[in-house]
Amino acid sequence: MAASIAPECNDIKDQETLATKMKLPRKYDTCFLKWYSEKYLRGNTSSNDCEELFKKYKTCLNKSLKEKGIDTMLDDARKSSSETDSEFLKKS
Amino acid sequence: MKVFSSTCNFDYSWDEVSTANWRKYCPWNDKATHVVGVDTLSRTIDPETGILRTERLITCNQSVPQWVSSLFGGNAVSHVYEISYVDPAAKKVTMCSTNLTWSNVLNVRETVVYQPSSLAPTTSTEFTQEAKITALCGGWQKIKNKVEEASVERFRENAKRGREGFETVLEMSRRVFGEQRDLENQRLQS
Repeated sequence: MAASIAPECNDIKDQETLATKMKLPRKYDTCFLKWYSEKYLRGNTSSNDCEELFKKYKTCLNKSLKEKGIDTMLDDARKSSSETDSEFLKKS
Repeated sequence: MKVFSSTCNFDYSWDEVSTANWRKYCPWNDKATHVVGVDTLSRTIDPETGILRTERLITCNQSVPQWVSSLFGGNAVSHVYEISYVDPAAKKVTMCSTNLTWSNVLNVRETVVYQPSSLAPTTSTEFTQEAKITALCGGWQKIKNKVEEASVERFRENAKRGREGFETVLEMSRRVFGEQRDLENQRLQS
């Protein structure tokens, strides 16, 4: 898994993370990949095993994006995301 | 605007490809060392269709041609915003990405699709890529053309490297998943 651009997220004192010595962003990615291959692709699309981890990671990441000024760039890019949403979120 | 498109097949099932795609930029991919960060911004599942929508921020240590950076300045880090859609029923992954850095000068919109290939749908996956490149800088059309042409050329070079890098990731993924399966089987038997 690639690294996060918010190294400070690695230092979150997360009980579980400390226990396994895995950094938070990496831990989330690993959780997601397991869920994706073992549940999502097998039709279990309603489970959300990694939600708690993602919440923690996102809180930290959002802070970092704001500090780096990336949040405003993202806001601009998101303006056109409704086009792709309407094209690719529909039933095929 | 200039368009670059390419297509190829990977000899792996769509399930394998769509899974490995999430770690396309992991350390196994020695052809993507310019990618220094991949962060997930949001992830939702459409309750009606089951389509998984993911927003990611890809951070690169850019290597643009010298004359481009001397013309427009800018620092070494660039960001790409990516939205992807996984439709598990149709077995289709669509990834749309656009550049966040230098977006007032150059607009690059890339769409990548992974689908089971029509000839061998269970064992092979078709990859299609299309990039639309538009120079936005005011002024001479000549300069715009030059910027667009240089960008398309880089896309062409990177497309080949991207394919090679992803092949390595696919191979490693299959090996690791295989080893995990063996371990679990051993555990079940003992």
